[in-house]
Amino acid sequence: MDDELIIGIDLGTTHSLVGVVDSGFPLVLADEKGERLLPSCVSWPAGQPPLVGTGAMRARVLAPDRTVSSIKRFMGRTFADLSPAEIEETPYRLVPGGRGEILVQLDEQTLVTPEEVSALILGRLRETAAQALEQPAGRAVVTVPAYFNHSQREATRKAAELAGLRVERILNEPTAAALAYGLDRLGEAATVAVYDLGGGTFDLSVLQMREGFFEVIATAGDTRLGGDDLDLALARHFADALGLGDLSGSEAAALRLRAREAKETLSNEERVTVRLPFFRDGESYELELTRERFERLALSLIERTAPICRRAFAEAAEKGAGKIDRLILVGGSTRIPLVREKLHEWFGLDPDLSQHPDEAVALGAAIQAGMLCGRVRQILLVDVTPLSLGIETFGGLMNVIIPRNSTIPVKAGELFTNAVDGQESMAIRVLQGERELAKDNWLLGEVVLPFAPGPKGSARVGVQFSINRDGILEVLARDTATGEDHVLEIRNAAVDVEDEAIERMIGESIDFAFEDMNERIWTEAKLKSEELLPAVDEALAAVGNRLPVEDREAIAAAAEAVRSVLASETHDAKALKSANAALDEATQTLAALLVEAAFEGVGP
Amino acid sequence: MTNPFARLGLPESLLLDPASVEDAWRDLRRDGKTDEEAEASGNRARTLLSDPVSRLAAWLDLKAPDAAPDRAVAPELMDLFANIGPVLASTDTLLARHRKATTALARAVLAKEAVAAQLGVQGLLQEIQPLKAALTERFPEFERDAASGEFAGSLRALGQLKFLKRWEEQCRERLLALLST
Repeated sequence: MDDELIIGIDLGTTHSLVGVVDSGFPLVLADEKGERLLPSCVSWPAGQPPLVGTGAMRARVLAPDRTVSSIKRFMGRTFADLSPAEIEETPYRLVPGGRGEILVQLDEQTLVTPEEVSALILGRLRETAAQALEQPAGRAVVTVPAYFNHSQREATRKAAELAGLRVERILNEPTAAALAYGLDRLGEAATVAVYDLGGGTFDLSVLQMREGFFEVIATAGDTRLGGDDLDLALARHFADALGLGDLSGSEAAALRLRAREAKETLSNEERVTVRLPFFRDGESYELELTRERFERLALSLIERTAPICRRAFAEAAEKGAGKIDRLILVGGSTRIPLVREKLHEWFGLDPDLSQHPDEAVALGAAIQAGMLCGRVRQILLVDVTPLSLGIETFGGLMNVIIPRNSTIPVKAGELFTNAVDGQESMAIRVLQGERELAKDNWLLGEVVLPFAPGPKGSARVGVQFSINRDGILEVLARDTATGEDHVLEIRNAAVDVEDEAIERMIGESIDFAFEDMNERIWTEAKLKSEELLPAVDEALAAVGNRLPVEDREAIAAAAEAVRSVLASETHDAKALKSANAALDEATQTLAALLVEAAFEGVGP
Repeated sequence: MTNPFARLGLPESLLLDPASVEDAWRDLRRDGKTDEEAEASGNRARTLLSDPVSRLAAWLDLKAPDAAPDRAVAPELMDLFANIGPVLASTDTLLARHRKATTALARAVLAKEAVAAQLGVQGLLQEIQPLKAALTERFPEFERDAASGEFAGSLRALGQLKFLKRWEEQCRERLLALLST
């Protein structure tokens, strides 16, 4: 193994960092201004080269449509996969590309891919490393959320390549954090849970440290859940509370910025005053926010992590790792005190705070990089694949070939035969996901394998899946009669999804797309109202008597507000969304009571 | 496909205990071989040999490579077979409703049914366990039969165990999904 330097990179939703091992110790590198956290933000001032990091953040309010943040959310996904809300809530314009991929449209002429945006961030980190270390940095370990699928990993790898970096390893973020935690504790035997709630993604991994081995036992997550969602909810709350109505792009960007600051302040303070000087037409606004009010907004987001944790804990328990000895918190959002309270309440777990929530992942990436270039002694790191892989079989079912949480690297295969006489080819559709029906899973790619026609059962096709150490898949199909191999190219994004719909959207003018967007959001919001209103009646009938009168009245008023917006002629999508949100919030306690009641009479 | 027993340096036996498989795998990894290919086949061997059903399948592949496994559901599994479909189907209907729900309240309305479904699936798992154990307990017998070239019993057991394992996985999958409700 050569001694050439390898850097470790944490490419985050809101911040990115770069680290390296120096004299046996992992450390995070600072840029020329002494900053270690690079905001994952890129801005393109008209006619000038792009700004990356803090400079781009400043440009966000001035040029929200030319400033791209949280691009990680869109890596390796298709346009068809985006919900109307996601498109609407994104401050810059997202458009579908010719292959159904997501593109960012900066102006009439300029389109950039999520990989290109990420590459600019990675390029800046590469420069920071080269400056700090006074030598070029061309090789890297890059981290991704554990729950990233094949396409999202491939997109990350491609971004690094665009930035001129050779990716030596793609490492899962919670695994990286655990490495940082465990480096000095190699003699210990412990089961460690890493709760990683970042800006845009959530992962929970359970690892076992034993006899110098670091083994991931189970992992679960959601690649669309993070602190960004909180900023948005908070910004919406500000707009509602101040009666601001429709917001311009810059106003929305400014509100989000203030929301994020307020959120961060409330991790340490009980209340915060949010000031919006000269916000609109020279008028200033001010608003006070208490931690209690913020927590009511944050609760539903934090609660979405509970079932994911339960799932990973249950899978770990099945593999003999039922008792969690340590809980490590990673990601900026874990600074919210309510996260810690809830983890204690749900699982009786209190965090080990020895890890820096922002830096642990980058340090782990640096350690892995150090191991690869011989600067740190080897730790036996054993990771898993987060999602099951398989192929579609007869009847549209998913046939799992590599189950989720399998140790990687791994290679597994199966032999398939022709199902009907005279069949001349076999279509192999590669799927990723946990659902039984093929159509409910993520289609990664498809290959048609031709063979000589013969009676049923005569043709034999061997399909072999291999997942490498980066969690990236390769599929090989072999016709056993001819020995001919076909390597299935797994494309970066599924392409055959709603092709027509995408083409139609491209053909339409921007103005029309806006009207269309309002209607799509209205439809989505209407479905939500139609779900909530009968649920309110049912829930009140079942456990309404356990609620204080004023809560019942608040719920009734919120439900009435939804009904009245729903009945209006104008299809005001924004008004319906905010009425829904208010009813959703007003019924949180009612929902909890209902769940509590469901468990009454059932053993522990 | 490589021989998983040989890959881990273990005897071709049905009676391997999980701890010896684990130790053999760890020794292999400690060896410091950095070849990805070798690592992948070692990991695969560990997975196959840790589970009694896939261990039996791997063992039969080596001992009786041309024999076809028995694919019919045995009479003693028929009751379970009849029960399993409806329980899984009703659970799936519930889970589909749950996935569609976008608010905490709409999900909470389904909580009572989810608890009932969970009990139903757990009941199935409790039926599967003893049936599986009854078959894996016969492994010593299969080893003895193999010495005299007799594989009928083990082939039949593999067919039944594959059904049981599949059902067990389906139930576990539902249980995990219900946990997330």
